[in-house]
Amino acid sequence: MIIEIGHFSTIVALVLSVFGMASAALALKTRNPDWARSGRMAITLIFVLLGVGMLSLVYAFIIRDFSVLYVANNSNSKLPFFYTVAAVWGGHEGSLLLWVFILSVFSTLAVWLHWRTQPTIMPYLIAVESAIIFGFLCLIVFLSSPFERLLPVPLDGKDLNPLLQDPAMVMHPPMLYMGYVGFSIPFSFAMAALFSGRLGEEWIKVTQRWSMFAWMCLTTGILLGGYWAYYELGWGGYWGWDPVENASFMPWLVGTAYLHSVLVQEKRKMFKVWNLFLIIVTFSLSLIGTFLVRSGVLTSVHSFATDPERGLYILIFVGTVIGIAFGALILRSNKLKSQVEMDSLVSRESIFLFNNLFFLVAAATVFLGTLYPLILETLQDAKVTVGPPYYNAVFMPIALGLLFLMGIGPYIPWRKASVASLKKSFSTPLLAGAVIVVLLFVTGIHNLYALAGGYVVTFAGMAIVLDFGKISQLYAQRNGSNIFQGGLAAFTANQRRYASMLTHIGVLVLVVGIIASTVYQTEKVVSMRVGDEFAIGDYRMKLAKIHEVAGGNWNAQEGVFQVFKGEDLITELRPQKRIYSATQTPTTESAIYATKMGHVFLTMPEVSEDGVAVARGVLNPLVLWVWGGGVIMGLGVILNILRPRKKEE
Amino acid sequence: MSKGWQLTLILCLLGLFALFYQGLWGDPRHIPTVLIETDAPNFEGPDVETGQTISLEQFKGKVVLLNFWASWCYECKVEHESILQLHQLFKDNPEFVMLGVNYQDELPDAQKYLKEYGSTFSHVRDLKGQLAIDYGVYGVPETFVIDQQGKIRHKWVGPITGEVYTNITQKVIAPLLKAQPTTTTTS
Repeated sequence: MIIEIGHFSTIVALVLSVFGMASAALALKTRNPDWARSGRMAITLIFVLLGVGMLSLVYAFIIRDFSVLYVANNSNSKLPFFYTVAAVWGGHEGSLLLWVFILSVFSTLAVWLHWRTQPTIMPYLIAVESAIIFGFLCLIVFLSSPFERLLPVPLDGKDLNPLLQDPAMVMHPPMLYMGYVGFSIPFSFAMAALFSGRLGEEWIKVTQRWSMFAWMCLTTGILLGGYWAYYELGWGGYWGWDPVENASFMPWLVGTAYLHSVLVQEKRKMFKVWNLFLIIVTFSLSLIGTFLVRSGVLTSVHSFATDPERGLYILIFVGTVIGIAFGALILRSNKLKSQVEMDSLVSRESIFLFNNLFFLVAAATVFLGTLYPLILETLQDAKVTVGPPYYNAVFMPIALGLLFLMGIGPYIPWRKASVASLKKSFSTPLLAGAVIVVLLFVTGIHNLYALAGGYVVTFAGMAIVLDFGKISQLYAQRNGSNIFQGGLAAFTANQRRYASMLTHIGVLVLVVGIIASTVYQTEKVVSMRVGDEFAIGDYRMKLAKIHEVAGGNWNAQEGVFQVFKGEDLITELRPQKRIYSATQTPTTESAIYATKMGHVFLTMPEVSEDGVAVARGVLNPLVLWVWGGGVIMGLGVILNILRPRKKEE
Repeated sequence: MSKGWQLTLILCLLGLFALFYQGLWGDPRHIPTVLIETDAPNFEGPDVETGQTISLEQFKGKVVLLNFWASWCYECKVEHESILQLHQLFKDNPEFVMLGVNYQDELPDAQKYLKEYGSTFSHVRDLKGQLAIDYGVYGVPETFVIDQQGKIRHKWVGPITGEVYTNITQKVIAPLLKAQPTTTTTS
């Protein structure tokens, strides 16, 4: 019964989304604000109704109602409680419902938050948001309903995909979706600007915090996914350039470009068409990502159901949204000429331009790599995959270039910079970079990427530290306080700037983590019997025994490895090869020993009948910096979003 | 403002959607097996370790096992020991040849890999990925068995370990060679 209530609410929400579009159109036609108000009410009600839909599905999972097809497909009587709730978004239908539910939450927030300050824009916003909600709800109600009943009722469910039974997986999809969907708000405002012809800087200022929030969620989602891949897939790495990973990375890249280029429009009224283009591309890539993941067009470790009918629907929907968006941009482009021309190539504007160029080239690179197999298959009927070497080769120089720009950008003046001022700002950081390179080289680090990375990270980091130090000192002198109080005063006085710099520092930490853990990863794969040992780095691993262990819904062979450093037994690692009972799917559970500087990572991917185990040990130096950097980045964005509003904003 | 970018944008979008539309009707899990029982495409390429040219033609009349691998591939490391063991099993048979194909890799990485994990047979470099395309390789590791007549008789996607190892040694290679493998232990 409960599930029918959820089903019914979702259908009513679909009807209301049509009403939302209609009332927005009437509001624009009649200029009667009552219509806009009903539109706002419709959006709010959609949120409530979809909330009911979500809750009914959660309830069905909690009571393990296997008469619901979606529950039967994604749950099992032995599935731990924690994961029964996460299983709501463990499959195609439920994750689409989550998508549109988050969309309704954000839409509701947007219409209420900006109602008073943006009265003329509101009908457009309501129209665009209702239209996107409508598109997704059609898909859910007509093609992918999570509320369908199953007859006869099975005794037990098929179980949640074992790879998804992991804490990081509980948060990874919602975070990603919040990122994807979050960009729909700036997108809607941009569309509203295009439709209404109010093409000034206002839509950018209004949506700045939204964009940052969406970006932060997307970043967190991607990093959580990486963490999951790291210990659950047993890669020992966190990024494999898998098509589905790429699908989330592309909107991130363009979204990051967008976050930077809007600053130019804010300060210099340039890049008008460009910013609209970027936000349309960002949101389009979010939608295309959904299409790629959900239609089964590409081969990937993310095994989702493939169904051409649904895929075709998503394609038509995504095509319509993108078509209308770019169509509007093209039709309006004559109105969007910037009045301001670039003054000099040595200016902050041009650094931003290069920043954008780099990000877009990066996104295009990933895009081509992801679609190349599809192109080849279409043209030649051949199956290929594009491996990590392609991405690494193209990506490394771009990333280094971006980091270098990151060091320069914030400290170069707008319009035109003089050589003298450049010398003053950058001579110390440039020198510091060189010193680090020499130090690294002397300590035995000869890898080109590590050295180049060390240089740009030091350069960019030094620029931030010097600038902040100087300003802090000024504040300390002025207030007669010590340097820490001065720093705090400097930070609060320029919260927007220094919160952004904190995010940049997070990026630097992340980059150090990535370089150290990829370039200096040590790996060993050995086959061994009980009693054998192998050495990796300073560590010795001795396989003490292999025994059977059982969890609620799985059985595993667990290897007990004693880890020695020198002669000392420092810890015991217990990697498992698990078999989940309901699906008979094997997974490898890694075991990790955290050292001060990194991880000792151990998996046991194979155990043969006669007791020979394949063990894989990996030393990942500084790998925690990857996620530590992510935390710092997030903190920077939060401080940026929470900064006090200034009058001109 | 020039109309150039607008037209480019429209054409790109149309192309993209045509591609996606076309892609919908393929099954991503379906891997073409049309190659089975057909002539193995010939190839030529440098040896990873020595640089000398290796071609398939020079092994005509023998049973050839082709194993596609790359240094960045995790599953390849998992199967490596059993691949070496497989070679050990049949290497004394003059009718048997084993070749590695190094796919989408950097030469130094590939050489380092072989040094580290051991190599008892030759590996040819697939310089432009053409070989992989000819054989329809869609990921690594992938293994092909070619018979004395030069026809592809078996293809396996994924690592050769456990049961797969037993199957490929006993049911595929041994009958082709009409030889009994002496041991069948796996790792």
